[in-house]
Amino acid sequence: MKKTATLGLFRGFLWEIIGTVFGVAFVTVVRMLMRLPAWKPEPAAVVGALFGALFFLYGVGVLDDWIKWANGEEAPEHVEDASLGWRRYFSVSLDHKVIGMQYLTLALILFAIGGMFALIFRTDLAQPMAQFLTPIEYNTLMSLHGIVMIIGILVGISAIMNYTVPLLIGANDMAFPRLNAFSFWIAVPAGVILLSSLFMGGFDTGWTGYPPLSLRAPLGIQMFFLGVSLSSFSSILSALNILVSVTRLRAKGMTPFRMPIFVWAAIATSVISMTATQLIGLAFQMSMLERLLGMGFFDPIKGGNPVLFEHLFWFYSHPAVYVFILPGLGIISELLPVFVRKPLYGYKWVAMSSLAIALTGFLVWGHHMFAAGMAEYLREPFMYSTLLVSVPTGVKFFSWVATMWKGKITFPSPMLFVLGGIVVFLLGGLSGPPNATVSTDLMLNNTYYIVGHFHDTLFGGYVFTLFAALYFWWPKMTGRRLNETLGKLHFWLMGPAMLVLTLVMMRVGLLGMRRRVYNYDTSLGLQPYHMVMTIAGFLIGLSVLIFFINIFITMKRGEIVTGNIWNSRSPEWQVPSPMPIHNYEKEFEVVGEPYDYGLPGSRYVKFQGED
Amino acid sequence: MVETKELPQTRRPSGLQLGFMVFVILAVLTAAEFMFAFFLNAWPLMALMAFLKGGLVLNYYMHFPRLFQADKDENRESFSYKLTTNRLGLWFFMLSDAFIFGGLLVSRFNLLALTRPQLNQFMGLTITTVLLISSFFANRAEVSMEQGNRRQAIISLSITIILGLAFLATVLFVEWRIAPFGPGDGVQGAVFYSMTGFHAFHVLTGIFFLSIVLRNLIRQRYSAEKHWGLEAAIVYWHFIDVVWIFFYPALYLIGTLPH
Repeated sequence: MKKTATLGLFRGFLWEIIGTVFGVAFVTVVRMLMRLPAWKPEPAAVVGALFGALFFLYGVGVLDDWIKWANGEEAPEHVEDASLGWRRYFSVSLDHKVIGMQYLTLALILFAIGGMFALIFRTDLAQPMAQFLTPIEYNTLMSLHGIVMIIGILVGISAIMNYTVPLLIGANDMAFPRLNAFSFWIAVPAGVILLSSLFMGGFDTGWTGYPPLSLRAPLGIQMFFLGVSLSSFSSILSALNILVSVTRLRAKGMTPFRMPIFVWAAIATSVISMTATQLIGLAFQMSMLERLLGMGFFDPIKGGNPVLFEHLFWFYSHPAVYVFILPGLGIISELLPVFVRKPLYGYKWVAMSSLAIALTGFLVWGHHMFAAGMAEYLREPFMYSTLLVSVPTGVKFFSWVATMWKGKITFPSPMLFVLGGIVVFLLGGLSGPPNATVSTDLMLNNTYYIVGHFHDTLFGGYVFTLFAALYFWWPKMTGRRLNETLGKLHFWLMGPAMLVLTLVMMRVGLLGMRRRVYNYDTSLGLQPYHMVMTIAGFLIGLSVLIFFINIFITMKRGEIVTGNIWNSRSPEWQVPSPMPIHNYEKEFEVVGEPYDYGLPGSRYVKFQGED
Repeated sequence: MVETKELPQTRRPSGLQLGFMVFVILAVLTAAEFMFAFFLNAWPLMALMAFLKGGLVLNYYMHFPRLFQADKDENRESFSYKLTTNRLGLWFFMLSDAFIFGGLLVSRFNLLALTRPQLNQFMGLTITTVLLISSFFANRAEVSMEQGNRRQAIISLSITIILGLAFLATVLFVEWRIAPFGPGDGVQGAVFYSMTGFHAFHVLTGIFFLSIVLRNLIRQRYSAEKHWGLEAAIVYWHFIDVVWIFFYPALYLIGTLPH
């Protein structure tokens, strides 16, 4: 018990409870002083949750150094106490590797929760009519599945970027270690608040939270708005940190076109999440204010404009899908040369294509609104700008195929997931243009075709590549290798199940199945398809369960590996695993191209003291 | 045997003089903006004024060009290297924050188009002037610190904070009280209270940072060479001013009153 009390996480939650009580009391007292009815659940819940989150940050101790600075005291830059062992991971740490693992843990927890939600309502959908969920329960689970997965993905991206980017550029930490810790810890109360909507009446809007429905939804939607707003700070600040670190802390000789390709992807991603994320925060805060104070931004009755919400929302939320996939595509480009033993084809083009996707991504949001009552003359420009995204994406595919061409390919688990990612993402990409084209989108809008499309892009661009990265870098993180047999089983279950699931989704969408509904017309004859989707969904769940079992058993009994097991040229593999606590004892200098695999005598990095 | 012709010496203005000159130009531009609004009512001219003013503040008060200075010291652990890193971080933060205010401006023009809320012009001009003068004193504090004049820095910083508090109090207790609509009264109220509210919250955080810095300044935590905390708080304060440079015409000047 005494040991638990010293854990930052535990203190954080304790303070969060205190803060929530304080916030609720605060609102009640203020309302009393203003001679309003003292108790009103909605402002009390919102202010309570907000104070809870702020108090959590104080309690967990992530503000300590800043408070010292404000008092004019010095705070030591980087002290890491390795003797704390696993407890290090549950308290504030400034080490980017620990923060990366913390992010990863949170992401996996969120994925497990979001996936469970999907399985519950997928089971309900296997038969028409409500089975065991009431409509509001179904709507809440469906909405939360979406947003929990999205937050999980954002957190997971921060995990991979936080862990690998400083290692890849040869830095000992991020540029702002305290800010880095802050951006992780704010995601924890954000997640708690988001999930608490489940117990506060839920919400029925889907993850998009469109007004005017969102203005009349149950109380749970306020927790959804607040949770997402708070977690947006996590991704903004983490992106800022990545951009500054890459600009300022690269190793000697690492010119822009000698950076590892994943770093380019991280830059492109961070440019989007640092800027556009503010807009979803703003849209949600405006909705919160509209509900709390009756401000008429989006309610047509008050003269507001619901389409304005969609503009603000999609200005982030479309580029956000590039935030989700760009790191994944970077991982594919990063790992492929290692496993085919050939240089990455067209390095500069691949690097630039990441930036091109990110920048074009800012110009395409309107394609979500072809049927939403947006000004009609905007449709064509948005259609063409959207189709334009396929050009830089095509550059990446061309590079991958050309890289694999005549390579000496081996197929360990990370490579399998890379290839799976390419195939699934290809399907996702090919099903995209019909949604971008106005004429077809008017038919496909709000059908399961869209659901199939984005599950393919996100699984291919994110989930498969995340698993590839985990199987690849796990030995670096822990010093033990994940079990290869279980890894292969994981892949061969997840890959085909995913293809079946999404292809059937697209099929039922073309047959007229609407998305987000809990019931469907029996005369459409969709029951068999829904049964197949449900079974495929459970197979994916099973495969992820195998992954968790794999982690669990290799934690204690996995094969210990310390060397460069993948025979990679990347600097982090030139030092022993698990990564030493202060990264590189000797600095290195970049002396060659990063991906010249198979070129005799070439080398990428030269450590101090080597010749 | 080539005679060197002496070039006429141009004297560069000192930091304090430069700050004052910029302040005068900003004041003139603000007055011009006000005149344009009431005699011409041409929004492109007002937008141009706002961009000019914003550019001046960005260049002379917020020292945007400092981001592109070459590193004096290549050692990653040195103060000067970290200083540039910190500056970059602050600018990225402000860039990100600017998107919130950009979103609010977009919402304002989407909802109100070329009409403007019914507001007290005198109060609008007053708070704009107060914030502008506070920006001048913030700059004076920073320049004084760079020249090692701690006493003058303390005085200037205190004036900045007092003017900031005056701005905040005027917005919350005068502007919000005398506005003919509440936050729940239609689109005008929503736009007015959200724009001034988001801005006032930033002013509040700015005052908070400036006060921390003032306390540490009095306790001699900064020197002429090392005063990053002071610089950061002041640059952030100017950023809040730039936001108001755009919000002021958008709320008070651009467009016509609704019928």
